[in-house]
Amino acid sequence: MTENSAILDTMPKLLARNVSKFGDSPAFREKDLGIWQTWTWKESSEEIQKLSKGLIKLGVQEGDHVAVIGRNRPSLYWSLLACQHIGAIPVPLYQDAVAEEMEYILSHCGASFAIVGDQEQVDKILEISDRLKGFKDIVFVDPKGLRKYDKEKLHSIADILEIGSGDSPELDKELKRRVEKVIGDTTCVLLYTSGTTGKSKGVVQTHRAIIGASGGANQHDSWTHDDYLLSYLPMAWVGDFMISVAQGMGAGACINCPEGPETMQVDLREIGPSIFFGPPPLWERLKTSVFIRIEDAAFFKKAAFNYFMAHAEKVGRDILEKRKVGLFDRMKYSLGNFLIYAPLKNMLGFSNVRIAYTAGDLISAELFDFYRSLGINLKQLYGQTEASVFLTMQGNDEVFSDTVGKPIEGVELKIASSGEILYKSVGSFKEYYKNPKATSETKDKDGWVATGDAGYIDEDTGQLRIIDRAKDVGKLKSGALFAPKYVENKLKFFPNILEAVLFGDKKEFCVAFLNIDMTAVGNWAEKNNISYSSYQELASNSEVSNILKEHVEEVNKALAKDPVMSGCQIRKFLVLHKELDPDDGEITRTRKVKRAFINEKYDDLVSALYSDNGSVDTKTEVTYEDGRKGYLEATLSIVDATIYQLQEAAE
Amino acid sequence: MNEKAPKIMMEVKNINLRFGGVVAIQGVSFDIHEGEIRAIIGPNGAGKSSMLNVINGFYHPQEGEIWFDGQKRPSMEPYEVAKTGIARTFQNIALFKGMTTIENVMTGRQLQMNKNIFWQMLRYGPAIEEEVQHRKRCEEIIDFLEINHIRKTPVGSLPYGLQKRVELARALAMEPNLLLLDEPMAGMNVEEKQDMSRFIVEVNEEFGTTIALIEHDMAVVMDLADRVVVLDYGKLLADGTPKEVQSNQAVIDAYLGVPH
Repeated sequence: MTENSAILDTMPKLLARNVSKFGDSPAFREKDLGIWQTWTWKESSEEIQKLSKGLIKLGVQEGDHVAVIGRNRPSLYWSLLACQHIGAIPVPLYQDAVAEEMEYILSHCGASFAIVGDQEQVDKILEISDRLKGFKDIVFVDPKGLRKYDKEKLHSIADILEIGSGDSPELDKELKRRVEKVIGDTTCVLLYTSGTTGKSKGVVQTHRAIIGASGGANQHDSWTHDDYLLSYLPMAWVGDFMISVAQGMGAGACINCPEGPETMQVDLREIGPSIFFGPPPLWERLKTSVFIRIEDAAFFKKAAFNYFMAHAEKVGRDILEKRKVGLFDRMKYSLGNFLIYAPLKNMLGFSNVRIAYTAGDLISAELFDFYRSLGINLKQLYGQTEASVFLTMQGNDEVFSDTVGKPIEGVELKIASSGEILYKSVGSFKEYYKNPKATSETKDKDGWVATGDAGYIDEDTGQLRIIDRAKDVGKLKSGALFAPKYVENKLKFFPNILEAVLFGDKKEFCVAFLNIDMTAVGNWAEKNNISYSSYQELASNSEVSNILKEHVEEVNKALAKDPVMSGCQIRKFLVLHKELDPDDGEITRTRKVKRAFINEKYDDLVSALYSDNGSVDTKTEVTYEDGRKGYLEATLSIVDATIYQLQEAAE
Repeated sequence: MNEKAPKIMMEVKNINLRFGGVVAIQGVSFDIHEGEIRAIIGPNGAGKSSMLNVINGFYHPQEGEIWFDGQKRPSMEPYEVAKTGIARTFQNIALFKGMTTIENVMTGRQLQMNKNIFWQMLRYGPAIEEEVQHRKRCEEIIDFLEINHIRKTPVGSLPYGLQKRVELARALAMEPNLLLLDEPMAGMNVEEKQDMSRFIVEVNEEFGTTIALIEHDMAVVMDLADRVVVLDYGKLLADGTPKEVQSNQAVIDAYLGVPH
């Protein structure tokens, strides 16, 4: 960055810079009452100052932890920034977390205030507030449904802003004093990890780390204040914090908040962002939705789509990456662009996308190629909460589906003898909150942080390549490598398969649990006149298992070509009677499989897969959205799949 | 519940409604207090929907009086009744299927639009100003009922539960004093029913709208309603709080059937 980052080392300083440099450019937008409302940097800054003063008046002290919960909206982003201005530490929480999950985090960090979006969140906090020590007040944004609540400890954000906008030299002085006290080493945010491995840990990040890492990323892809993005990912996720807050503030880019989760797709089309960040499941879902619609299209449209998509697959990536492509192929691609690619991108909301990122999980090569061949500059990056996300990123002309890029400025990588990736970065976390043991286990005294991922530097490209979570990689009894995620991603590429869990560590062979994708399979069922009333009924349909069997065998065939992975072929599988659900603790809120937990919970099913039985009876506890619990009973049939010989030997 | 003497918003007195020789309603009287949720229940063919139709002026009873806001109401047509601030939804959804959600909701504002057709055709000046104002109000209702995501979807393609919500939105767009809901939860699943109940309570509390509803789901009625009227074969069987009605032997007999 050209600006001296030694000076701009805190969020308040960045905000002041943005006001003076881009004062009248849009900073935040939100669709409200059907219209996009805009706030410039000047206006946003005024709101943040008012909010800061209001919060001081409310009694928020320096060093207090303030929970921020709700869907993405400017007032909550301002709340994060206001907390940072007054020396309090914002703790964003997942809005769909149930009350007990919130209780764990709120009591762990000893939050004294919460700023929440709506009645739903207020209800959850009120439910647990008696058990939270030192918890004081709640501030809410949307007053709907809260009319009759006891307002003693409940404040509307409008009132807080009102208090802050009053003329009070005392508050002004106090705010100024507090802002001046915020330095690069002050805690910027406390982010809780999604907790693939049990209880989530609080990652303490300083202003310097956050701004350092996001600055490096901004520089890597030359973000400017003309960029604009859609903020729709959970605010509690480190990715959204880095992109919407840190990178947005760093570059002066405009943050657009959708009306709500259901309207995200429509709002995406309306905004047509220049930068878009989506985790692999989203890219998967979008592609599935495209293919479902094409399935329903008329013959001619379908034929045109298939024809031009095949062409895009052939030359699309070469054109995007500015390699040599023949004139005729180029012309054909232009025609395809006019007829298919451009309208498709427009439908998806990606007409103006300059850079699209995917991160958070491995992504299948097929999926990756699909978007790139359309001309969408989808790139991978790799990182984690502890590193303020950014460790490696891909350059525009060196994009590969099986690697995740080179270390960005300020990051140093090294591979431990165990194969685990270690790093040293400006964005490294300070510590796990109130957990020195975990801190010292992860970060050594020289500052090297263990990622928990196994990987290596690819020799051809010089980029980092991730294999799997270090502790998930195992061995079959035969000694062959067992890398579950690699196989699961191959399975999940089929639109019909939503989720897959592979077992096989220290066993004779591999087996799998599958979850069907209700959208894709439901569409298929509708076409084939198969009636069903629930997920469970559709999942247990024998024709559905036949389709899945074909998918599994295709994956087996592909694995058979790879000498390292051929041992991971799936001999038996079953279709689970329920969808894996974060409410039941089976996957994280960011949709990562919690392997150990599933292994334990479905112990009976796993052992049935390793027995000779053709079916298994099971009873499973489920948690409903309102927190009640119930039981699901089912008889699941076990399907055998064909195993293929390693193909090198055959040829 | 209501400690101070409640204000009576509407009173029907000794209503008799016949279609030829068929007696639909026979000497029914009850009242609706301002700000309450009043449920009308009864077995099939009890005359519940007929009663709503009488209230909103669609049927004209042969005998009986309707008092509204302390005045005896002359015989009125439905659109005249609508102008007095009574809105309704229908048992079998009556939306404009080819129009979008927002367009349907906007039709609820029709009565409040004053500019004549020429101004409206010009789409300029006062007519546009008026439209913007009304659109804003409709958007607030859309936001309130959480149907933003289907704002521009033709309602014919929406699932049943959402169509019911759009219909409620259209009725609310009239900003009624009295809202008549004919089986707002028929054919809904549990989750949709929960949502709808929440909206009904919120409409009642936030906007202070008086609500009269017909509903078959007893659990819902007992939870929502302040007072309940029970009809059976066109006659008034019981009238009181949910608790009173629930323990009334005549009601139990009518619902469960008794040997004659």
